[in-house]
Amino acid sequence: MRPSTALASKHNSLLFVVFGALLCALFILSLFIGKYPLTIEGLISGSELQWRVFTTLRLSRVVVGLAGGFALGIAGFIFQTVFRNPLASPDIIGVSSGASAGAAAGILFFSSSIMVTLCAFGGALIAIVLAIAFSVIDRGGHKSTVVLAGIAVHAIAQTVLMCLKLVADPEKELASIEYWIMGSLNGINSHIIGSNLILCVVGLILLIMLHRQSILLSSSGDEAKMLGVDVTSMRLILLGLSTLVVSSIVSMTGLISFVGLLAPHCAKKLTGNNSVSTMILGGLIGSCILILADILARSVAATELPVSIFTSAIGAPFLVLLIFQGRKDT
Amino acid sequence: MKRLTSLLLVSVMMLFAACSLNPGDTTSNQDAYYPITVTDQSGREVLIESEPQRIVSCYYIPSSLLIALDLDSRMVGIEDNADYRPIYSLSAPELLDLPNVGTVKVFDVEACMATEPDLVIMPLRLRDTASVLEDLGLNVILVNPESQDLLIEMIDVVSRATNKVDRGQELIDFITNTDDMLNSLLDGVDSHTVYLGGNNDFLLTSGNAMYQSGVITNAGGINVAEDIDDTYWAEVSYEQVLAWNPEYIIIAANSQYTVEDVLADENLAVVDAVNNGNVYQLPSNIEAWDSPVPGGILGSVWIANVLYPDLVTDEILENTIEDYYETFYGFSIEA
Repeated sequence: MRPSTALASKHNSLLFVVFGALLCALFILSLFIGKYPLTIEGLISGSELQWRVFTTLRLSRVVVGLAGGFALGIAGFIFQTVFRNPLASPDIIGVSSGASAGAAAGILFFSSSIMVTLCAFGGALIAIVLAIAFSVIDRGGHKSTVVLAGIAVHAIAQTVLMCLKLVADPEKELASIEYWIMGSLNGINSHIIGSNLILCVVGLILLIMLHRQSILLSSSGDEAKMLGVDVTSMRLILLGLSTLVVSSIVSMTGLISFVGLLAPHCAKKLTGNNSVSTMILGGLIGSCILILADILARSVAATELPVSIFTSAIGAPFLVLLIFQGRKDT
Repeated sequence: MKRLTSLLLVSVMMLFAACSLNPGDTTSNQDAYYPITVTDQSGREVLIESEPQRIVSCYYIPSSLLIALDLDSRMVGIEDNADYRPIYSLSAPELLDLPNVGTVKVFDVEACMATEPDLVIMPLRLRDTASVLEDLGLNVILVNPESQDLLIEMIDVVSRATNKVDRGQELIDFITNTDDMLNSLLDGVDSHTVYLGGNNDFLLTSGNAMYQSGVITNAGGINVAEDIDDTYWAEVSYEQVLAWNPEYIIIAANSQYTVEDVLADENLAVVDAVNNGNVYQLPSNIEAWDSPVPGGILGSVWIANVLYPDLVTDEILENTIEDYYETFYGFSIEA
């Protein structure tokens, strides 16, 4: 092993230890922060009510924070890698807009939260299918085609969303739609997370298994082709899986901004490369940001605040710091 | 007119008499009364084993009802922004110090659990959250007071669940008696047309399917927007308002604009209501009577007084309001 490689490996290990420990601390802290006075003593003493609150509400919420942040970080990494664009995110392909339009339809026509989740999921899936269908029309295989298709899908979804908002009751459904778009982990409970979490975990495992192919796509298409990768198919598979992972989370929580963009960006700045360890580090950073944002969202005011306020508030200064750090190092 | 006023006074006296005959809304008979199964407004059957002593409401309409049923001392949690509702500070200021459990839009399950309630009252829209609370071992009653009939049904359900049947019946009697009084006073009247301006914008109005339309028709008015079928505030244009040309414009109690704004709006300068200065805003210093609160019938009396001051006089209006709040909320209204 060359000294520089050994140094990089040691540096990466240190980063994993730091962010792993931070995530563990935030996870445990988050389990014991909330309006209900949950205590370790109460749980140890076997209080039925404490255990019910713990399993039905608190644990579900923190697990979704953990999985959601990780999924957004990994999906963001895939988008940035496949598009070779550091500003790429699930928003680019219209996934977020599709999920928003679906959720708005659910709020308007069904009002039950399970139906809102299903409709958001359906909206995200329709968005990705449309984006892929539009991009297939261009047989040239330009990497910008999917981005353009995503912009078209985003525009369509926004039009649908505007129509739905127009017919929504300003004092009831419209307020719910606006709050959903802002995102929150408030409504999470053990009843609604099961199938979404399974879908998310399966998607994440597949994405991690395909990390080599995704990294090859970050180089030029010719190089990937020479190495035996079917560029178009692999790009679509990776984008499809990323969308599934993201929509399985946002269909439960509403939109969560900035994590999918920020987490992988931070990971790349910290490791200085595009390897699988950077991908997983992006996931860990995503989980840390989302859990911390959720702790703040439920504790800084008397009522719950939208989590996206804090993901942006935590993320933006961190990103600026890293940009300055990178400039100083060069 | 004198006969009608006498009739009203007699009915008011009968109400007071009913009050004095029914002091027994206490917990003394609870052993015989409970357990009881009530069917809430979502059709769910809720088994209540014993008299609720720790009640949470996350919606201002049942919160107001709980005060009227004399249950405010048993409330342990209330909706967010309770300080926006003057009725609480007038009748039960201690409610403002209770923990808030969020809103209908963002209900906080953990904050609700932290109050250790034995009964939670929430609107039908939160039926999914209700099932979570039930799994956590709580009794939940879902209410849906979207019309006067449903409001009366809500009063019945909540009063039976809390062993306040007599008090609930008094409240229902007040609403139906007041409704009957208006019908009798306004019998054969030449109805005026009314446009109701919504809270958020003057160009939002209530169609026939909304509770607010009933407030106008109960007051002997004709809602100019009665052909609109929307179940929520419908957006209309200035042209539409000009075509309707209402004789009266009533503005919702918590509107974000004033009577002066409407009178000064050049787009409305040719409307009869504006020309004749017949633009009024429902009062908001006690409760928004254009919403289905238990005292919502007072909104109809107030509008009837505006439309037909010779039939529904200031005196009738003042007496009815004073009677209602003294009987059910325990405070007096300055004339």
